[in-house]
Amino acid sequence: MYRTIATFVIIALFITSCQSGSSTRYELVYSMEPGTATGPQPVQSIAPGNRYKIGFVPKGSEIEYFRYAALGAKEAANNLGIDVILSGPESADAERQIQVVEQLIDQKVDLIAISANDPVKLVPVLQKARKSGIKVITWDADTEPQCREFFVNMVEPEVLGRHLLDTLALSMGEKGNFAIMTGSFAAANLNEWLKWINVQQSEYYPDMNLVATVATDDDQEKAYEVAKKLLEDYPNLDGILGNSSVGPPAAAHAVKEAGKSGSVKVVGLSSPNLMGPYLREGSAQIATLWSPKKLGYLTIMLAYNYLNGQMPMDGQEIDGVGNIRLNGDMVIMGEPLDFTAENVSQYDF
Amino acid sequence: MIFKRMRGLHFRNYPIGYKLIVTYILLTAFPMMLLVYFSYIQYARSVEEQIGEYMPKFLYQANADIEKRIDELTTLPEMLFNSDSILGILRRSTYVKRSDLNKDQYNMNSYLARTYTNGRNADVLGVFVISNNRVFYSSKVGFKESNWSAGLSDYVQNVELGGKAKIILPGEMDLQFGSEAPYVFILKQIYDDDNRKSLGTMLIAVDLSFIDNIVRNFEKNERADLWVMNPSGKIIYHTNRSLIGTVDGDKARYPVLNGSFRSNGTGDQKLVSVNQTSNRGWILVHSIPLRDLTKSADQVRNVTVFVIIGIMLLTSIIGVFISYNMTRPLKKLTGLMKSVEMGDFQVDLKVQSGDEVGMLARSFNSMISTIRELIQKNYQIEIRQKEAELYALQSQINPHFMYNTLETIGMAVEEGETEQVVDMVTLLGRMLRFSVSNQSKSVTIAEEVQHVKDYLTIQKFRFEDRVHFDIVQVMDDRDFHALYSPKFILQPIVENAIKYGLESRKALDIHIAVSQEFGARSGKRDIVIRIRDNGPGIPSDRLSELEQSLKKISFEGRSSHFGLINVNARIVMMHGTDYGLQLHSIVDKGTEVIIRIPMIHGETIVNGED
Repeated sequence: MYRTIATFVIIALFITSCQSGSSTRYELVYSMEPGTATGPQPVQSIAPGNRYKIGFVPKGSEIEYFRYAALGAKEAANNLGIDVILSGPESADAERQIQVVEQLIDQKVDLIAISANDPVKLVPVLQKARKSGIKVITWDADTEPQCREFFVNMVEPEVLGRHLLDTLALSMGEKGNFAIMTGSFAAANLNEWLKWINVQQSEYYPDMNLVATVATDDDQEKAYEVAKKLLEDYPNLDGILGNSSVGPPAAAHAVKEAGKSGSVKVVGLSSPNLMGPYLREGSAQIATLWSPKKLGYLTIMLAYNYLNGQMPMDGQEIDGVGNIRLNGDMVIMGEPLDFTAENVSQYDF
Repeated sequence: MIFKRMRGLHFRNYPIGYKLIVTYILLTAFPMMLLVYFSYIQYARSVEEQIGEYMPKFLYQANADIEKRIDELTTLPEMLFNSDSILGILRRSTYVKRSDLNKDQYNMNSYLARTYTNGRNADVLGVFVISNNRVFYSSKVGFKESNWSAGLSDYVQNVELGGKAKIILPGEMDLQFGSEAPYVFILKQIYDDDNRKSLGTMLIAVDLSFIDNIVRNFEKNERADLWVMNPSGKIIYHTNRSLIGTVDGDKARYPVLNGSFRSNGTGDQKLVSVNQTSNRGWILVHSIPLRDLTKSADQVRNVTVFVIIGIMLLTSIIGVFISYNMTRPLKKLTGLMKSVEMGDFQVDLKVQSGDEVGMLARSFNSMISTIRELIQKNYQIEIRQKEAELYALQSQINPHFMYNTLETIGMAVEEGETEQVVDMVTLLGRMLRFSVSNQSKSVTIAEEVQHVKDYLTIQKFRFEDRVHFDIVQVMDDRDFHALYSPKFILQPIVENAIKYGLESRKALDIHIAVSQEFGARSGKRDIVIRIRDNGPGIPSDRLSELEQSLKKISFEGRSSHFGLINVNARIVMMHGTDYGLQLHSIVDKGTEVIIRIPMIHGETIVNGED
């Protein structure tokens, strides 16, 4: 009786153990996936129907340099699928720029990226923007640090300043008189560069003599006038260094007009498109700049990351830009480019 | 319920050998097999689980290494930006002179060779740069097609590239790369960050053999398959080279993409471990037949199974042998019992063993022999008794005896001795009644003695002075009338004495004494009857012959001493060899016959039921 029951139980055991082995094609042994709720690849996506709006404010919308920066910003906006509102004063004017910012506040943009014409005058309006929930970053030219989150700088000011003087020294043979044409004594970045230009000169080039530092107000007409005046005032001038984009072309033009092409060396910060003709004909020797398109592009990329809660990091790689550096709350895009008669045609900005 | 009871009943009816073997298997072989089976299953499971757990971790590491290497390779195009002159070449779109183009081509190709293909990047099979309708390249291996540069340009133009590098599998392009090793193309746009425009496209052919080195670090088994496939299941790399480029159709059915599972597909069972990278989504799969994992366990299992089967066979043989040994005597016993039943008592169960079966056999044997002896004895006693009765009757109805007796009576009548006649007729009548009437085998000693006295008296009437006899009773009357003796034990002896005595003697003396004596052989007081005569005696050789016949207690037919032998045989059969006849004889002096029988009260003697 018991024996038969035991026999049945054992037979049943065997049958079940055999069945369990062949019932399914795949049998899970071990899973490293944390749970079934999360998908294999968590993809961070923008909330649909809520495209970011970023106000992109240059110093002056008519200035060639800023037009190219805007192109880069547009490209980034297209790639990211966000809206970038380009609006700025026609020329580099702080009061007009304040009005532009006011308009952007009214449009309820998510972020304002501004290249400030004046580091102090813009502070109130930017603080107002921040109070109304708009994030603020600066690019190209900084403001007072308290009214923006971070500053997207093109190059290290020290590197640029010293490099600019080096290019002039190279062209002048490290001796002679030279003048500096700066954009505005109010612009913080230009002043910073000026400081390092002077430091480099006093450290390494005792035979070089700075005769004058004049402002162009980033206006082409005025810059031309200033340059002509410099040539007249200092007949034994050997070189002119411009540290804002309108300076070197104006100086080269004036030098050419004065028939002093080659004897008065012209170097400085300006774009290849502006400087190309002068470089090729010898009115200017070296132009230095970075890609404004790249700067605009980088600014929008970082702004987008910031809107998504990601602050820039030192050594971070940004697609289409490369690795950035971070110095405090200042982002450094890279190294400056030098344009000469040989390579100026390679660049399109 | 009925079914089970019937089963039980059936089992009860099975032969002992069958029961023994079934019990043995249930008790030993079956539990052993179960034990081996379950321990093997358990061991195989644990091996599988261990490998299933750590293999995905290895795969995770290996997959991360592979991805890292691929990532490194996708950054290779950026090395172009390190050289301004190369950038200058790439940025140039128009040429006035053919020699300018050729010079650029030369410079570019040698730069590519220096930077990519000559030694520094062992995994790079070749690089191809397509820029502004120009094709620059440096490659260790060429394309099989002759017009590959045009095909490459066409292909590249039709590919949508973002900023990211794209992996192109060999089958996706019309062009065949002449590489034996597994390879993929990394296609990446060369993007001019400064001018914000594309300078062209770079195609890097990558040798995937480095995956071998990565995966062979942790898997050295040749039977294990490892492959890498993209998220759609297309196999990029496989340890079996011929499968590269095919699509793993089962991928969609995999229960996990980060973990392990058992595959019960066609053929072997396999343990499959997979890992998918989060970034590129490449899936690294490791598949090994379970047999390889449990090889040592299989060996142990096989050896155990063989040993168990061996032990089972051996013990089964022993079991069969033992049960045969046990049941064979029983079967034989059954057969013998049947023949005994049929009446054949001449059987002997030959079993030497000392166990219960042996005891049974011995008991059986002794039982059969006892039965046989009893039957034999009863049968013999019956025959002798009948013979004795017949003999007595014959001797009394013997015409010679009757004639002599009647003649004696007749002479007495002539002489007018009526008293003597009456006596003789009375004696004769009493003798005949004694012989005929009483059916029992035993009579009292007094009756037996009376009968022989009657016989002797008749002879005395006939032979007168030639015969003398006297009967002495040396026991009290109560015993004389209460003790029993077999019937007809005295007459044959007395007849012999008269027959041989009267042949040689003129006067014959017969002396009969009935007494009680202590018997040395029986150890009891027995009844002893001595019949002594003064006849011719028996010669010694004849005497010893006669004694031999008495000892044999055999039935020898009617010989000259039939009477003596019959008497002795009956006494011995009834009372054992302690009793019987003894002969003493001296030639010419006489003979003494001593009859020894036990003291028997009443007729309830041996075989008294007859």
